[in-house]
Amino acid sequence: MTAQPNKALRFTHVNLENWKNFIGVDVDLQKRAFLVGPNASGKSNFLDVFRFLHEIVSVGGGFRAAVQKRGGVSTLRCLAARRHSELAIKVSLGSDEDRLAWEYELRFTQDNNRIPTVATERVAKHGKDIITRPLEADQTDPKRLTQTYLEQVNVNQEFRDVADFFESVRYQHLVPQLVREPDRSVGHPNDPFGGDFLEQLARTPEKTLKARLRRIGAALRVAVPQLKELDLERDVRGTPHLRGNYEHWRPQGAWQTEEVFSDGTLRLLGLLWAILAGSGPLLLEEPELSLHPDVVRYIPAMFARMQQRTGRQILLSTHSTDLLTDEGIGLDEVLLLQPSDDGTSVRTASSFEDIKVLLEGGVNLAEAVMPHTAPSKSKQLTLFGEPVPGE
Amino acid sequence: MNTTFNKPVVSGAVEGSVDEAVFSALLKHVDALPGLVYGKKGKSHLREKITGYNNAARLSPWLVIVDLNHEECAPSMRASWLPSPAPHMFFRIAVREIEAWLLADRQSLARFLAVPLTKMPANPDGLDDPKRALVDLSRFSRRRDIREGMVPTVSSHREVGPLYDSSLSEFAETKWNLDAAADVSDSLARCIASLRALTG
Repeated sequence: MTAQPNKALRFTHVNLENWKNFIGVDVDLQKRAFLVGPNASGKSNFLDVFRFLHEIVSVGGGFRAAVQKRGGVSTLRCLAARRHSELAIKVSLGSDEDRLAWEYELRFTQDNNRIPTVATERVAKHGKDIITRPLEADQTDPKRLTQTYLEQVNVNQEFRDVADFFESVRYQHLVPQLVREPDRSVGHPNDPFGGDFLEQLARTPEKTLKARLRRIGAALRVAVPQLKELDLERDVRGTPHLRGNYEHWRPQGAWQTEEVFSDGTLRLLGLLWAILAGSGPLLLEEPELSLHPDVVRYIPAMFARMQQRTGRQILLSTHSTDLLTDEGIGLDEVLLLQPSDDGTSVRTASSFEDIKVLLEGGVNLAEAVMPHTAPSKSKQLTLFGEPVPGE
Repeated sequence: MNTTFNKPVVSGAVEGSVDEAVFSALLKHVDALPGLVYGKKGKSHLREKITGYNNAARLSPWLVIVDLNHEECAPSMRASWLPSPAPHMFFRIAVREIEAWLLADRQSLARFLAVPLTKMPANPDGLDDPKRALVDLSRFSRRRDIREGMVPTVSSHREVGPLYDSSLSEFAETKWNLDAAADVSDSLARCIASLRALTG
């Protein structure tokens, strides 16, 4: 664990141009960020920016692979953008004490053969540029522009901290059915959807694993009181299984494996594991799924407590009013995504005057924010199944 | 013999999670068992549902705690909320907010927040805005984690910090000395006295 949470590096600002749903984004990020918006407004696409940076520097990744995995530049580019415009990602990294320790900017497009190419790559430390590409060498050998300096260890010494930070980003969106039936997703190491979740657990050194499972077990009992104990065991074929000891009429309780754990138990277990494993920014999709409202409402405070110890940043998407009822969620921590014909805009809730005055008048955050994110024609869903005219 | 079996179970409704912690501590203090807790969505929500809670209090004991805030006085608020209270309804109004009851245990709260005892308000029942008083008090904490958890940042535009509810609930459940607090807060003393009638 980081000893000095106030010095832990995190994303402090993000600028985007023409990235997926977004023509332009320019927004500050706090230690916690709660993304709210209608379905398909781009919450996952926003989180994907940070996964993209992670993939550039991860083993077996790289800039070209990360772009191509997303269908190439023309798929990534915002539909509302002009045809040949560049895509740009610019992030600032820092801490509470030093919000602008680093800046990383990447602008890219594609060449005539649809190969993604770097148009600009810039790294600055405390506002001073360390590197600005294209360099002269890039002009004479354009092939160099198919790679970022970020991903190359022989040229990124001066900003290795940035590369290491991007590497530490984790994304999780655990699908209980994939945890129970890992065969459905063979060959995805570190699968954010949980396909190799049990393998990830099994790879953890035993002492660490035991300590984490003990802590997770204790926290899980809040939601699942009959669960007494958790451990990990390999079956005869060597496949790891989570086992939970459930207390009921039998004096010794009964051991059951993850195959019969409920969706909620598995989701919460995965969430708690993600919090304990790793120290870099954690990206979560709808952590409220399958959980009881009385569990969901304590999620923001649980994150805040964890951040007091580690300083670890958490960016999450949510549709949950229960989660947003927490009175300690800052308006600068809530990012509102609003789709329009010119792509989706991203603004902090604190930039909406009406939300501020509603709160001052005693309306809770969920009540003040949710109408901004409701699809305008959702009522029409009730008509689904009615005959369409002319049918 | 005072086993779980003959302790009265009291259901109830409160405004939020700090109030829920106070609810449990109160009932334990008078040797009753906290039952199901409803509401937890703010004061206006309680106001809407109070008729339902009152109906339920015809059958079994209920404790409803609500903040007076800036309404004129407790008796008129009681009259407008509950013109005909059911026989088992304990409807308590905290003056002005439930935080005053926590502030009344000066020793334990000063220790919990790591603030000097001299900074603790002498008459919490007389505070105009106990919540703000508690937040302001936390600014003097010697502990950084307390300051950052309790006090909101300016840019958050909120009244409390990210761990205000969580920390105060922890205090109410584990450190709050109700005898000491009742010596200082009349409003709390009256609440405890009326609840004692339950357990004899």
